[in-house]
Amino acid sequence: MLFNSIDFIVFLPIVFVLYWMVKSNLKVQNFLVLTASYIFYGWWDWRFLSLIFFSTIVDYFVGLSLNRQDNLRKRRLLLLTSIVVNIGFLGFFKYYNFFLENFATAFTFFGGTIDAERLEIILPVGISFYTFQTMSYTIDVYRKKLEPTKDFIAFASFVSFFPQLVAGPIVRAKQLLPQFYIQRTFVYTKAADGLRQILWGIFKKVVIADNCAEYVNYIFDRPEKFDGSTLLLGGVLFAFQIYGDFSGYSDIAIGTSRLFGIDLPKNFAFPYFSRDIAEFWRRWHISLSTWFRDYVYIPLGGSRVRIGKQIRNVFIIFLVSGFWHGANWTFIIWGALNALFFLPLLLFKQNRNYLEVVAIDRRLPNFKELAMMGLTFFITVLAWIFFRAENLHHALEYLSGIFNSSLFSIPELPDFGGKKRAHPILYLLFGFILIEWIGRKDNHALENIGLGWNRLLRWSMYAFIIFIIGMYMQTHEMPFIYFQF
Amino acid sequence: MKKFLSSIILFIPFSLILYVVLICLWGSNLPTRHRPNLIYKLGHWGHIYSRLQEAKTYRDVDILFLGSSHSYRGFDVRKFDSLGLKTFNMGTGAQTPIQTKALLKRYLPKMNPKTIIYEVSPILFSYEPVESSLDLIANDVNDWNTMEMVFSINHIKTYNTAIYAMYRDALNLNKDFKENASRADDLYIPGGYVQKRMKRYKYRKHNKKERKPRSIQVNAFYHNVQMIKDKEINLILVQTPITQSLYKAHTSNKLFDKQMKELAPYYNFNELIQLDDSIHFYDSHHLNQDGVEVFNDSLIMRLGL
Repeated sequence: MLFNSIDFIVFLPIVFVLYWMVKSNLKVQNFLVLTASYIFYGWWDWRFLSLIFFSTIVDYFVGLSLNRQDNLRKRRLLLLTSIVVNIGFLGFFKYYNFFLENFATAFTFFGGTIDAERLEIILPVGISFYTFQTMSYTIDVYRKKLEPTKDFIAFASFVSFFPQLVAGPIVRAKQLLPQFYIQRTFVYTKAADGLRQILWGIFKKVVIADNCAEYVNYIFDRPEKFDGSTLLLGGVLFAFQIYGDFSGYSDIAIGTSRLFGIDLPKNFAFPYFSRDIAEFWRRWHISLSTWFRDYVYIPLGGSRVRIGKQIRNVFIIFLVSGFWHGANWTFIIWGALNALFFLPLLLFKQNRNYLEVVAIDRRLPNFKELAMMGLTFFITVLAWIFFRAENLHHALEYLSGIFNSSLFSIPELPDFGGKKRAHPILYLLFGFILIEWIGRKDNHALENIGLGWNRLLRWSMYAFIIFIIGMYMQTHEMPFIYFQF
Repeated sequence: MKKFLSSIILFIPFSLILYVVLICLWGSNLPTRHRPNLIYKLGHWGHIYSRLQEAKTYRDVDILFLGSSHSYRGFDVRKFDSLGLKTFNMGTGAQTPIQTKALLKRYLPKMNPKTIIYEVSPILFSYEPVESSLDLIANDVNDWNTMEMVFSINHIKTYNTAIYAMYRDALNLNKDFKENASRADDLYIPGGYVQKRMKRYKYRKHNKKERKPRSIQVNAFYHNVQMIKDKEINLILVQTPITQSLYKAHTSNKLFDKQMKELAPYYNFNELIQLDDSIHFYDSHHLNQDGVEVFNDSLIMRLGL
């Protein structure tokens, strides 16, 4: 079920009403969450519910067994079971064909022949997210940082909680699981803010991301037809597309959770207002970055090892992060580029310069901050080109199209064959950036804007956003980009 | 919780009212290209405005023609009127069964036709119904039938355009609008026919294409057929000629013919008469006046008029 579908608009109020009707009975409420989550996921393809269920069963019993087991070797074996099952599912569904093809290519390179037959594998939606979420549980139990749960329904609800099941945020067990143990109370301000966040998430997705996508697809599909400046603009629009799409999803997920009295951690913190790439990575897809930090980077020694190992660790974490996104060399190069951008900051110990929001006590950034944000945005756009490209050849062709004398021409957006076509995306983007800038210190852009106004004015603002959605949304349903990961 | 629900219950009508106000403001003040989901074009292609205005003055006709541009560019009312018949052509651009349903409900009681000649084609059953509905909404006075059509299509463009159209209807803002009978190469003939300035088609090969019918269109079509039958109106289904190159590109012609024959007397003129693509057509879909003469003579003969 897509958040931006009629099905979800019907589904959500029904679950919401039922959920609060049974608020006095925690077990029933959790069971309702579980049922709703399985319906939500099964709406897309019920067959893959078995994968989630199997993962849940395995990790539930691994957790309990870890608690009873003191023998280190056996504990390691239990943890390995969990990791093998989860990574095994992920590896088969997501990476089987990639490894097969590359193995065959390498074999051919060395003069051999191999009959490698691709399998037609459907990637189960959300598998990269829920496998990481459930693995965090067994790893934390193994490290004795978390008590395993005996409540299967609560655990299964944690694994499959529908708002964040298919595209995150990836929530750690210690953040989410305890919320299923205690009675939730309805808090008006929390629910109202949840609705605001949902509204802003929908706006980001259907107005900003989907409208950018129209141009991005057109430009990326025929880079040879455009001059450098337009190709660069295509990259910029993709940067907003992916941000609107993914952070929009996160906003809807977090907002929906708040309607149910459950808090999910922030996943995006206005990343395009970052002054360097390190700050960008503290603000982009936070739940994944911190997952890799805590379960990969720090166990490898992080930055508290000698310089060679530091470099290795940085590359490992960025390459793995790139590969997590998809079985394509483009994602790996995207990760490698980000590692290259990040490395100088780490080596010169400049990677924690900007921990606060830019221009925290001012309305506008100064020139230096503006230039730094511009430069950071520019290099992320260059990396995004690899992320968006179909393959490496496509990415290189696109980049070579940018870096020539035509880069200094006036960019021309495609008119799709229409006469006198306007490009509302340009003024929509302007309004979007402005609101995000105003709300940059908050959890989401609409959190505090208008809260001091009288109700009529505040509601008018929300209604105006609804109107803009109705007037400028793309009319064909576009799935979220991160569903493919 | 009570406060939350009551706020939502208050906010929904509040935002709906503001939405309507903003639609009216946007529609009145911004050009079409700046309001992509509100497409209101008065006097659009095919003289739809003139035709629907004229339709309001017709009573008790002998033959009512329904269908797409194949209809209003294919059935020359002058040919039928010369036989002493009173006819009206209610074809509209890309009129799919969904729009036909709204038009039938609106005009059938007054027009009270003895016979309906309903133009059918696999192409129309495969169309998505949004764009052609927008023309109908913009160019006719809207009523409950419009709303029924809008809700059945369930698309943001039709909702927005219907809201704006109703606002214009309510304030009678179209009262001064006049559509010229002559527009580009088209000449509107009273009775609903549009004559194209004589042109000939340059042959173009069409690739094979499967036209998958949409269930929403098929259901509306069966509903229309039943409505006509219930009123004991003589129904004749006609597939008007298109170029052979286009016709042969459709992969479902035989199946379509079979399905139509089961519903009412059916004539597929792509199989019944021999026309030349480069002589009798001005584009791949539409007959030129020479082609219309041949087609209409053949239809009149076959119906024994």
